[in-house]
Amino acid sequence: MPPRLPTLMMLLSTWLLCAPVQAHHVLGRPAYALSEDSNTPPSMAMETQIGDYFVTMMAFPAFPRPGETARVNLYARRIEDGAPFTGEVAFSLRDDTWLPASEEPIGTQPVDDNVFRQGFIISEAGEYIVTARFHAAGQPYVIDFPMRVGDPASVTPLVVAGGVVLSLLVGVNVAQRRRIARRRARVHPARSATGDGGA
Amino acid sequence: MAVTATDVGIGDALIDPALCDTPGMMTHPGLPTAWVWGVAAIAVAMFLWNAAAPVAGRAAGFNAWSAIPRGRLGRGIREWLLDATLPILRTPWLLLTLRLLVATLFIMVIAAGLFGTPIPERNLATVLTWNLWWTGLVFAVFFVGSAWCAICPWEAIAGWITRRHPWGRGRADGSLGLRVPRMLRNVWPATLMFIGLTWLELGMGITTSPYATALLSLFMVVLATASALLFERSAMCRWFCPVGRTVGLYSTLSPVALRPLDAEVCARCETLECYHGDDRIAPCPTHQVMGRMRENTDCTSCGNCTQSCPQANIAWRWREPGREALDAARPRVDTAWLMVVLLALTGFHGLTMMPFWEPTLRDFAHRIGDSGQLLLSFSVALSLALLIPLIVYTGATTLTRRLLGNGAEPGRVFSTLAFACLPLAFSYHLAHNLNHLLRETGDLPVLLANPLGQGALPLSEAEHYLRYLNPGLPQDGLFLFQSSLLVLGLWLAVRIVRRRIGSLLGRTGGVAPVNGAVARWRNVPMLGFVTGVTLYHLWLLAHPMIMRM
Repeated sequence: MPPRLPTLMMLLSTWLLCAPVQAHHVLGRPAYALSEDSNTPPSMAMETQIGDYFVTMMAFPAFPRPGETARVNLYARRIEDGAPFTGEVAFSLRDDTWLPASEEPIGTQPVDDNVFRQGFIISEAGEYIVTARFHAAGQPYVIDFPMRVGDPASVTPLVVAGGVVLSLLVGVNVAQRRRIARRRARVHPARSATGDGGA
Repeated sequence: MAVTATDVGIGDALIDPALCDTPGMMTHPGLPTAWVWGVAAIAVAMFLWNAAAPVAGRAAGFNAWSAIPRGRLGRGIREWLLDATLPILRTPWLLLTLRLLVATLFIMVIAAGLFGTPIPERNLATVLTWNLWWTGLVFAVFFVGSAWCAICPWEAIAGWITRRHPWGRGRADGSLGLRVPRMLRNVWPATLMFIGLTWLELGMGITTSPYATALLSLFMVVLATASALLFERSAMCRWFCPVGRTVGLYSTLSPVALRPLDAEVCARCETLECYHGDDRIAPCPTHQVMGRMRENTDCTSCGNCTQSCPQANIAWRWREPGREALDAARPRVDTAWLMVVLLALTGFHGLTMMPFWEPTLRDFAHRIGDSGQLLLSFSVALSLALLIPLIVYTGATTLTRRLLGNGAEPGRVFSTLAFACLPLAFSYHLAHNLNHLLRETGDLPVLLANPLGQGALPLSEAEHYLRYLNPGLPQDGLFLFQSSLLVLGLWLAVRIVRRRIGSLLGRTGGVAPVNGAVARWRNVPMLGFVTGVTLYHLWLLAHPMIMRM
């Protein structure tokens, strides 16, 4: 048996046995999974469809700690005939925030057994987006993959919601005071004009 | 942010578990063939029999509820229940305790969503919100009508912020108390929000994201607070809330509701505490006068009327299920649209959980060049799912109107017959959710002990199979409930069609309400519609359904 054949068979059987991601009707969202046969930490996978390609990205471990080595694997096959993409894929990283900082390149990987693998270490906890880019038939392809490193705390939504409610409360309070003042002015015009509250 | 690239060796990659640990799809089994044929035969028989039978007038028709004997024992039990529960219902403590409990759980949901694990099946936010509340809500309506609205955390928190008091009137100056603008005094905002919620749920996949679930929860409570601060009473509940309006419509079919014990007492009442409230108790949040209330749609079961009525005349009452949809509820065009939308979206929910849904959507997306999460393709599918039932329903009502031949307004026929959509949507909703509720709500005690899911691993294949094998109800029992619900829904829909067509004939004049020879074909288009929808729902239930998580 040629040495590459077991690898190819394993990949083929993997794709035949593994059903689509667990999030049953939602493409493009990551799903977390646990390996039954080993004590490895959970991994995360995402399937998506882009242009002529069906792309699967997987991250291991699903929740790396800051400073821990993480891996992203990408597999792309043409929708028409299932032929795997064999060019190069460039990986980069950015913060997953409303105002992200500039993107940092991680590396460009050639194909290896039809899979593109990128290892990396992130030193700070946070929510990140790993972006994979490749060109096929003159068309650019960009796939984003969310990744959480460590246990980042997100209080922004609470601050925004609290801010909106507080602003409304202040606005209503001011409007009510004006209403009361207008009412008093109608009832006691003289007192109102002299600034006497009429207590 | 600091990132460093590292090498990945070939040997390392070969044992990479990320390549082989994606779990398989688990499905709820569909109805067996024998059940399917049984329900289909009953549906066709009901269609044929009712197409041949004369249209019922207001006094005609079989009323199963009235056939139940109401002897001394029944009266005794009812009076005992009333004596036992009314004193509790007339104090604010029970509702306040329940509101505090639900609001605490709601705050835990937000905290778990923002700070907990992103693994949906291990986070309280997603499990409690989507697997228990969202699926269980429709069962709550079945048993206790609109009681959920009385303890809804969105409204409770908004009320506490606005009134700055745990119950009762609180501060009167906390809200501007504006009247809702006329253009917003309808259920269109709620209908649009319900469609939006479906888009978020099935298109964006918010049900598998604890963080997004927390954001939605925060958004809803901010919306409720803004509404309470700006508008009089509970405008959110009355006009804007997609959940409240759905619960309100479904609760018209419920066998229980808050109603006067003695209609004469209400008829003699001149103070209307139920509407105005009193010194201690707030007025009705949706402007209802209990003595004149004919339908449950706008009642939030808040209990203000029970507490403020000086005659202690308001309590939970048993009634014939579906009575309001049969003839008491007043047809309104905006409400009719919501009913048709509800019918369309409940079917669409089932469709998106079929195994063939995703490949079909992918194929369509590839044809139109859609990429990523396929939101454009999903939006097109959602629009079609709304449009097709609407066109079919409009066609059926147009045909009915022509067969009536008495010049009834198209809008009136459309809104009057829309009540037939309610039991169809409700029964399929219940049958569909039975699967979710019985197989996907496990591990709640574990989740309550670890709501953030700290250190928890994703659901393993073995756990998936355990849930699959232990639905909490024998499989045949589940099939029996699902089949019975479809048949009951169709039975009620047929009764509504016959009764409402009878009312259209009787009120608009021209033809006598009961005239078998002339009238029997007049209900055929609507009977065809309700039977067709039931067969479609049956077809959906006959397929395996993919588990949510």
